[in-house]
Amino acid sequence: MNTATQHTPSAALATIAHAKARSNRFDRWRIHAIRAAFFASLVGLWHALVWLEVWDEMIFPSLPQVAETLWLGINDQSLTSAVATSLQRLLIGYALALCIGIPLGLLLGRVRWLNETVGMLALGLQALPSICWLPLAVLWFGLGDTAMIFVVVMGALMALTLATRDGVKNLPPLFLRAAHVLGASGWRLYIHVMLPATLPAILTGAKLGWSFAWRSLMAAELLLVGVGLGALLERGRELHDMSLVVAVMMVIMFVGLLTDRWLFNYLEQRFIHRRWGTTA
Amino acid sequence: MPKVEISGVSQVFWSQSGAIQALGETSLTIEEGEFVCIVGPSGCGKSTLLNLVAGLTKPDSGQVKANGALVTGPGPDRVVMFQESGLFPWLNVLQNVMFGLKMAGVAEPKRRERAEKLLQMVHLSRFTQAWVHELSGGMKQRVALARALAPNPDILLMDEPFAALDAQTRDMLHDELEDLWASTRKTIIFVTHNVREAVRLGTRVIVMTARPGQVKNIYDIDLPRPRHIEDVALARIAATIRDDLRNEVLQATHEEGID
Repeated sequence: MNTATQHTPSAALATIAHAKARSNRFDRWRIHAIRAAFFASLVGLWHALVWLEVWDEMIFPSLPQVAETLWLGINDQSLTSAVATSLQRLLIGYALALCIGIPLGLLLGRVRWLNETVGMLALGLQALPSICWLPLAVLWFGLGDTAMIFVVVMGALMALTLATRDGVKNLPPLFLRAAHVLGASGWRLYIHVMLPATLPAILTGAKLGWSFAWRSLMAAELLLVGVGLGALLERGRELHDMSLVVAVMMVIMFVGLLTDRWLFNYLEQRFIHRRWGTTA
Repeated sequence: MPKVEISGVSQVFWSQSGAIQALGETSLTIEEGEFVCIVGPSGCGKSTLLNLVAGLTKPDSGQVKANGALVTGPGPDRVVMFQESGLFPWLNVLQNVMFGLKMAGVAEPKRRERAEKLLQMVHLSRFTQAWVHELSGGMKQRVALARALAPNPDILLMDEPFAALDAQTRDMLHDELEDLWASTRKTIIFVTHNVREAVRLGTRVIVMTARPGQVKNIYDIDLPRPRHIEDVALARIAATIRDDLRNEVLQATHEEGID
């Protein structure tokens, strides 16, 4: 092929490209169909269990019951305000964990004595479920938001710190040598080289930290009754309102799914896969 | 004043089997505008020598002076180009080339202008917005060359930069590098294991001994430019140097066999 025709595909090539695009669209459509079928059969199974009366209606609510609870909760805003309260605590705690965890992880990856001391402590704390901090947190910060946020921070922080640290440790030395040669040193080495180079590992840690943050918050809210999704769950238990319990569980899953599919997926596509040439 | 003055440097590395003398006491003087190629058997410390000039490692003995000043670390007057491009995947092509200028505190419009000019010089104007993974091996090395040249170093250190490329691409890059050197008269130290390449490019070819590496012989290459890798006179000189090198390579492989 000569260079003149290289950039203007022939009609035959265009047809092939068209067919490929169509088969891609078909694949995507098929995946949507499979997913829809899967969840539909899940709902079907649920219905079947209710219809067969395997469990009493009191402890195994039907889908219409749950839907009604959801609808009522949205209408009288008890559910939406609980979501808002929980998300607010979550976001504050998570943001704090990001602000502490990423710089700390970068330092641990570079400074050996720090890694041997603080790194060891972080590893130990990761083994500790963060809800174990609640009794102390209540004494330190009182029965309120601060104690819960503290538990959230402790839940997300270790995963973030350790993932960032491991990302720094696994950096190809070539990046650092190239950076040194081009005049990067001190804090600029951290900001312009180590942070972006470690971003894939940081995002992995951020996803893990996000799910830990949720778990910690739900545990704290269940124990420290007040407002929030966890508190709503606890109210459902007290009132034997299992449709409320299931509704809250579904909301939590939905928020988690949404964050993963939209936020983290977007960040990974935009800042990792497109740039590094990796595939999702 | 010599451009680069290497006096009595040596380097020892520690490995599990004990101390390895990577570089024996080596002295070498390089004048301004020279294109010095260093060849030697693998493990002879030629890359170590380059890293010492770059300031990426410190010698265990002796010293290196560049532009009359003692080398204590990397500096804007000496930039290295590596065998694997070492381009940053989180930056696009243009941003990669601008990186050194950004570190030097050059303002955005100015560094963009310079980077665009350099990318034009390496024939990649159409790829300024591309990500690194979208480039071929040859294109990556062109970007790496542009990135190394951006801070305008007067000493260019090249560590087997074309070793991983196919022959056609390599030939093309030889031409481009020769043109660049002819038009800018930068001092270039070029490490390679390819003797032909060394003779093709260099004003001098340094042959190093097997480990611990030392300067074995120095050949002045007086062939007219532009040179061609298939040139008979060039091949004849390369053959002489290769014979010189062969004993060293044999010794190196022999040693590795016993280890």
